[in-house]
Amino acid sequence: MKPRHAPRTAPLIASLVVAIAAVTLILSTVTFLRNYRSSIVEGARTSSAQAVSQVVGSVGNYVNNIDEVMDLVMDSMDKSPENRDAFLDALQTTRSEVVAVTTYGADGTLQDCWAKGRTPRDNILRNSSFDLVTAKRRGRGYVSIPHVETIFEGYYPWVVSVVRRMPEDSPRQWISMDIRFSALAATINNVGIGQHGYCYLMDERGNMVYHPQQQLLYAGLKKEEAGRLACLGDGTYVEDTIIYTTQKVPGSTWRVVGVSYIDETVNESFWQMTRVILYAGALILVAAFVIAFVLSRTLSRPLQQLENAMQAFEQNADGFVFNSVTGTREVEELSDSFRHMVGRIQRLMTAVREEEVALRKTELKALQAQINPHFLYNTLDSIAWMCERGKNADAVQMVHALARLFRISISRGHELIPIEKELQHAEAYLQIQKYRYKNQFTYHFTVDESCTQYLCNKITLQPIIENAIVHGLDLMVEDGHIEITVCPDGSDVLLKVSDDGIGMAPEQVAALLQNEPSDRTGIGIKNVNDRLRIYFGPGYGLSIDSIPDVGTTVTIRMPQVPADREGDYDKTR
Amino acid sequence: MIKHAKPFACLLTALLLAGCAGSAAPTPTTARYRVALIAKSTSTEFWGAVFAGAEAAATEYNMDLTITGPESEEDYAAQNDLIEKAVEDGAQAIIFSASDYQQNAAAIDAAADKGVRIVVVDSAVDSTKVAAYIGADNYGAGQMAAKSALENVEGPLHVGLVSYNVNSPNAQEREKGVVDTLADSGRAEVDATVYSVATPESARAETLTMLARHPEINVLISFNEAVSVGAAQAVSDLGRAEDLWMVAFDSNIKTVDALHTGAVDAMVVQNTYGMGYFSVESAYKLLAGQGNDVARETQTTTRIIDRSNIFALDGQKAVFPFE
Repeated sequence: MKPRHAPRTAPLIASLVVAIAAVTLILSTVTFLRNYRSSIVEGARTSSAQAVSQVVGSVGNYVNNIDEVMDLVMDSMDKSPENRDAFLDALQTTRSEVVAVTTYGADGTLQDCWAKGRTPRDNILRNSSFDLVTAKRRGRGYVSIPHVETIFEGYYPWVVSVVRRMPEDSPRQWISMDIRFSALAATINNVGIGQHGYCYLMDERGNMVYHPQQQLLYAGLKKEEAGRLACLGDGTYVEDTIIYTTQKVPGSTWRVVGVSYIDETVNESFWQMTRVILYAGALILVAAFVIAFVLSRTLSRPLQQLENAMQAFEQNADGFVFNSVTGTREVEELSDSFRHMVGRIQRLMTAVREEEVALRKTELKALQAQINPHFLYNTLDSIAWMCERGKNADAVQMVHALARLFRISISRGHELIPIEKELQHAEAYLQIQKYRYKNQFTYHFTVDESCTQYLCNKITLQPIIENAIVHGLDLMVEDGHIEITVCPDGSDVLLKVSDDGIGMAPEQVAALLQNEPSDRTGIGIKNVNDRLRIYFGPGYGLSIDSIPDVGTTVTIRMPQVPADREGDYDKTR
Repeated sequence: MIKHAKPFACLLTALLLAGCAGSAAPTPTTARYRVALIAKSTSTEFWGAVFAGAEAAATEYNMDLTITGPESEEDYAAQNDLIEKAVEDGAQAIIFSASDYQQNAAAIDAAADKGVRIVVVDSAVDSTKVAAYIGADNYGAGQMAAKSALENVEGPLHVGLVSYNVNSPNAQEREKGVVDTLADSGRAEVDATVYSVATPESARAETLTMLARHPEINVLISFNEAVSVGAAQAVSDLGRAEDLWMVAFDSNIKTVDALHTGAVDAMVVQNTYGMGYFSVESAYKLLAGQGNDVARETQTTTRIIDRSNIFALDGQKAVFPFE
């Protein structure tokens, strides 16, 4: 398994697109939302302040108006009873929110009451319209918190009482006017801030004067922070998600409070923004997916196929068959180039292999052609010595053997010769050597006649016999024996050279099959083996069994090659 | 590539789906929930305050609220028709106050079977399909009325009860609360109980008859707004404002006037506005899938109002609705 290096192109590009888009989206969203929120909060503060000052204006006007009415009412007390009653009756007709005008003595007892069509009941349980303690404490007068009108039978509206001290000379000490909320209610209820914001009216101590949801407050279903806000000065206060704006109503003890919520607008935008981002994100993901898909189809996958093909080629260059890869033009050009390259390399490889074989054959032929000069010199020396001693018959035999040796080794340029000829060549060599080694060894051929006409590489036995004589028998004290056997083995032929010499250690055997021969030793055993393999294939060649002090057997395996099939194995024929 | 592309594609698809789901989820539903409030009566101040509370909640929660009720408080058949009609008109929740514990049950069950959520306010109905009940502790209210009499009347108490619909669980509970508390005191006995039709006229006549037959009665307790108005009139008619301690249920201008004259001496006042508000709020939560926040039973407060506290600020707030 190759280690993973770099990520794949398509997912990489897709991830990059997604990452960049995500970062951009997040950054722009965060920036946008931050700016948005602060601008929203600023806007909410402004609109809250505006709404409150609008209400303050209206309520201020109303309070002024009530003050003026109160002045008129107080003035009317000095008029004649008819005029006074007519005025107050007219007032209550035009100003329906005026429920009652009452006057009180110094001890707080109810003196007179003007209420259109109503008279106060006889037994008033408690008169909420006037509170002597508060009146005395305040001196000039006061405006009460909301209360129920309690002095009439069957009529209990919620009112506020405006109480004033009468001039000293008047028989009436205090005057009170009860006003319903209808006019104030319209002013305050109609003012909204944002979606759920509203205004309410409280007095300086945080008592609720008018609230759009007053009954909810009275039923205990809703609470306001009026008491706490009463301690704060005029201004706008942002608390968490709520904006409070308070402002005093000029000429009155009342204060207007505006309550609005940031979260509803901001959260709305936030969700809207989030939705947009999610849509954008989804779109980008789709885009990334499409890009990844297209890239994968047109680039990554073909490249991957090319890569796989290259890996396959790397592992098995000979058997590799390249299928063209389709994709973008670049990919197809790459594919074409690779196909050319593969064809080229495969042709080159074949050529190189063929050249190698040819070269080897040539080399081996050149080696065969060489005659070990020491052997020739020694042999000729022996012949000369025989002639001198008058052993003419022996000398003739030697010369014949030498002639046969050379004739067969030339064999008119044939590489493959009948086994019979090879055996003659071996025997000629053995004869010469036997003279040279002064009959220190004997030899014997055991030949299965069915094999003699099959072809074999020339000069196959001679290097092995030479090895047996030089390394096996030369060092022995007693006479040695070389046995040469030819026999069929299935569809093969076996040629064996056995000696009873000193044998070889396994290292020597291995060295013999691997090392190039030294100059002195002609063709060499390794070359015999190589030649057999080059001509017949890897299943053929030499095997050496050697036991030290017992002997060595070299077995040559080759196929049975009839004379008419020489061309199958030797391309030069 | 194929090997890597598959999980990658899955991830993309998942994100894509999540994106779509996420973007679809916050889309606000613009449709308003439709809620029908079917009351026992539409004419009393009690129900007027309930309606006011209900409307306040409907405004707050942006719901479509319709309010209906029968001509007379005993007309369960008309209520059953109203239930059916509300279902036909597509109400998703019905806020119901039963005229008859038994006779309204089948109609409520039928509505609930059609998937309408049922919230009961004030007067219960014999159905297991009611999702929430909002009402006063009527037994406790009865005890409160009896205690007021026991605390303010010395010597043996001869008690007359003016009740209404004999099939109303509320009336039964209130009566039980009164009777149990009186029995515990050891110095009180119920001399007479009348069951009046829930109109002032009927209650006035019944009370006059009862007081004529039992002149020894020195404590009178009436169990709802209409019969209280009638009973108070009877007390005034007979000039017994001074020597008879009367406890009225529920607030009415006439009862408040009678409190001034002494015909009525104490009133058991319920948080009717709160009942209306809570019932609509419960309906909203049930419809909006916040059903876990809705208690099966919500008890609204009751308090006793007499001459000493009616015009204290708290008393005013409890008795008189702010217009």
